[in-house]
Amino acid sequence: MMTRTRYNFLCYLVVLFLLTSLGCARDRSGENLGPEAQESAQGMEDDFDLLINDFYGDDDLVFEPEYYDPLEPMNRLFFEFNDTLYFWVLKPVNRAYTAVLPIDLRYCFGNFFTNVAAPIRFFNNLLQGEISDAGIVLSRFLINSTFGVLGLGDPALVDFGLEPKPEDFGQTLGAWGVGEGVYLCWPFIGPSNVRDSFGFAADAYSHPVVYFNNDFFISGAYYSGSRINLLSLNPEVYEDLKKYAVDPYVSMRQVYLDYRRNKIKGKTAKQPVVQEL
Amino acid sequence: MKSFYDTISCKDITMTIKRLFFLVLCFCLFSGLAHARASLGPTEELKPTLDKIKEILADPDLAGSERKAKRREKIMAVAVQGFDFAEMSKRVLGKTWKTIDEQQRVHFEQLFTKLLENVYIGKLESYSGGQNVQFQEERIKGKRAVVNTVVDDNGVAIPVRYVMLQKGSIWKVYDINIEGVSLVRNYREQFKSILRKEKYDGLVKILEEKNASFIDEESN
Repeated sequence: MMTRTRYNFLCYLVVLFLLTSLGCARDRSGENLGPEAQESAQGMEDDFDLLINDFYGDDDLVFEPEYYDPLEPMNRLFFEFNDTLYFWVLKPVNRAYTAVLPIDLRYCFGNFFTNVAAPIRFFNNLLQGEISDAGIVLSRFLINSTFGVLGLGDPALVDFGLEPKPEDFGQTLGAWGVGEGVYLCWPFIGPSNVRDSFGFAADAYSHPVVYFNNDFFISGAYYSGSRINLLSLNPEVYEDLKKYAVDPYVSMRQVYLDYRRNKIKGKTAKQPVVQEL
Repeated sequence: MKSFYDTISCKDITMTIKRLFFLVLCFCLFSGLAHARASLGPTEELKPTLDKIKEILADPDLAGSERKAKRREKIMAVAVQGFDFAEMSKRVLGKTWKTIDEQQRVHFEQLFTKLLENVYIGKLESYSGGQNVQFQEERIKGKRAVVNTVVDDNGVAIPVRYVMLQKGSIWKVYDINIEGVSLVRNYREQFKSILRKEKYDGLVKILEEKNASFIDEESN
């Protein structure tokens, strides 16, 4: 009887291990981009119509400024600080990190960091009234924490076809109609605005690592670790931006604002909107 | 007498019918022609352009950095047919476009086209060719259209939207919008910031330096 239980347990372990390694390996292979994934991407597209946007209108020479950056001199200073931080600290650290850890493992770590932050996505989906999305976040968390071995794999996507539903408190505030406020470029953290800064702080409080320990140092270390891992998976993003821009500060500001607006607008437009075409 | 009138009217009728027939024929012919020219929609116009660019990028005879000049030349020859660089240049300069003369406009268009070539084609060249573009629905509003595509970048679906303008009967791209981030608006804001401080001449100088930096990079 005893040996049988042990045998079952071993079998379970092997299956678990196989599932995880599959999950890790397939995450970046592109195979997981099933029809569901593409359909949902399309679904997002349907809702947001660029042609309503004034920017593409015929009267293209009259164009209102769409951002508020009265703190530009200070922001530029912090931008320079982050730039120096990138080339002097982050890039060398990332080089060592990438050399030591194989990419599969870094993808697993990325999954892990994402999985731990699930409460943020859960609460914010709830706060935006996206009950079914909150359910998906919860299912993903439960599946990945068990079958995905503490969230290192992403079997919820690979085997169950559950798409991630990223939401943060900045987006929630945006969906509630809170304005952006002035643009801010924080040292260490990067581009933001007043609304998203509040969102960032609120999300930090609902993050399990911050919630369950009061040590600022541990939280900081955890955050830095997740950021380095993210950087190691997308190493060329910042340098590309610098390479292509004639004014990297302005380019980054515009990318940030456009990207965030698209996320919030794409979300609110999900309710049927009569589009004048 | 009666029969005479009959013949006249008969002749008249045949003439009228012949004329009508001729008119209808002409109408069919011209409208057919016009229809054939106007029938290419935004997606139909865009897809072959992107396919041709992809073909050139995949061509082993044109691969490698030593054949870059020839490859770029071929790509740009295709790109000008599908992308409206003049419209982009105009939009990216905003109000300043009105203050510069024809010669400056031509020069600026060359500079900006070169920059886009360095940025956009440079980025395309860096991909290993594993990128799959999926065309989705298009929207047309008057002379403007948006073609939605999804690019599969190693398993991550990136929505890329081409904003197009119809001039005559031909649709051409005048902006690329990736996840809400507009290429033209991004440069427009950068240029605006430079124009405020350094005026138009300063911008031209910065663009020339930027384009030169891509050449320096190759020789390194």
